[in-house]
Amino acid sequence: MILYTIPIISQLETVMQHVLEWFHNNVGLTWAWSIVAVTVVVRMILVPLTIRQIHSMQNLQKFAPQMKEIQKKYKGDKPRQNEELMKFYRENNINPAASCLPMLLQLPVFIALYYTLKHEQFPQGADLSWLNFIHDISAGTTTQWGGYILLVVYVASQMASTLFMAATADKTQRTLFMIMPLFFVFIIARFPAGLVLYWVTTNLWTVGQGLITRRLVSKAPAPTVERRSSRTPPKDDGSSENGANRESPPPTPAPAATQRPRQVRRKKKRTSRR
Amino acid sequence: MSAVLRIPATLGVGLVWLYRLTLGALFPTTCKYHPSCSEYAVQALHHHGLVRGSILAGWRLLRCNPWSRGGFDPVR
Repeated sequence: MILYTIPIISQLETVMQHVLEWFHNNVGLTWAWSIVAVTVVVRMILVPLTIRQIHSMQNLQKFAPQMKEIQKKYKGDKPRQNEELMKFYRENNINPAASCLPMLLQLPVFIALYYTLKHEQFPQGADLSWLNFIHDISAGTTTQWGGYILLVVYVASQMASTLFMAATADKTQRTLFMIMPLFFVFIIARFPAGLVLYWVTTNLWTVGQGLITRRLVSKAPAPTVERRSSRTPPKDDGSSENGANRESPPPTPAPAATQRPRQVRRKKKRTSRR
Repeated sequence: MSAVLRIPATLGVGLVWLYRLTLGALFPTTCKYHPSCSEYAVQALHHHGLVRGSILAGWRLLRCNPWSRGGFDPVR
């Protein structure tokens, strides 16, 4: 691949090789478990970012009724809807959960692992468990029976992690992300088994994280029953806004800031009715 | 002449597209900014050329972290 011409990548590969060897020789893990260990370490380093994401997700939940209203208002105009939502985020100090940097931080690890597995041979002792599940992490995924199981788990975990991760309410984008693994499975099948193992582990971590996040978020004071009221016909928009207002907890300064744009919007609506 | 000067920036845009079609597609994430980071990179490269465009895009990526607010942030 073209990427390999970038000098840093060959250095990353050396680092990755040493890390894997350390886990294998010093900790005494099999090669497959060394890859799992590397994945877990990477994700643990990213945990501070995750905690921050949980907080912002809780914050998002609080503003869900207002955001739904914006979506309804600009239903036909997707770019405008996006812009208005972003403006709303900014006005209310909302920090959407997803961001590019944590994902990008994982990319070098992934690329390094890819080239390490491609260039190096990892002699015997790769097994993930008994039954010779994965006998060679640098061999193709489809050359070993465990690889097929990994591919199935990959598709399932990728879909599940999309469910938990995607902060977008954009349905088409979400569906697209859900369907994509079904196509990528054919590309991924040609990758070394160790890489798919990394993928599966990181996805499962995301899913586990998502489950914990969900539990934490559901504890936040935003009853779903109240949110349902905002889905009632547009006539009730004003009242649902009031409902949201009553429901949102008073202490943080953010809700106070929300009142300004909301009042403006209500005025606009009245003029349109006249 | 201007077409020749545009070659480096166009190469940069090509790299962004390469990312979008390969790694970006394999690791789907949604950006908290509008336009998204990769779209921002394409626009920055078009408006400011390879060097400044890359710096702007890099700075945007650093800003796209869990501590930032996100929102509407076009290339200036």
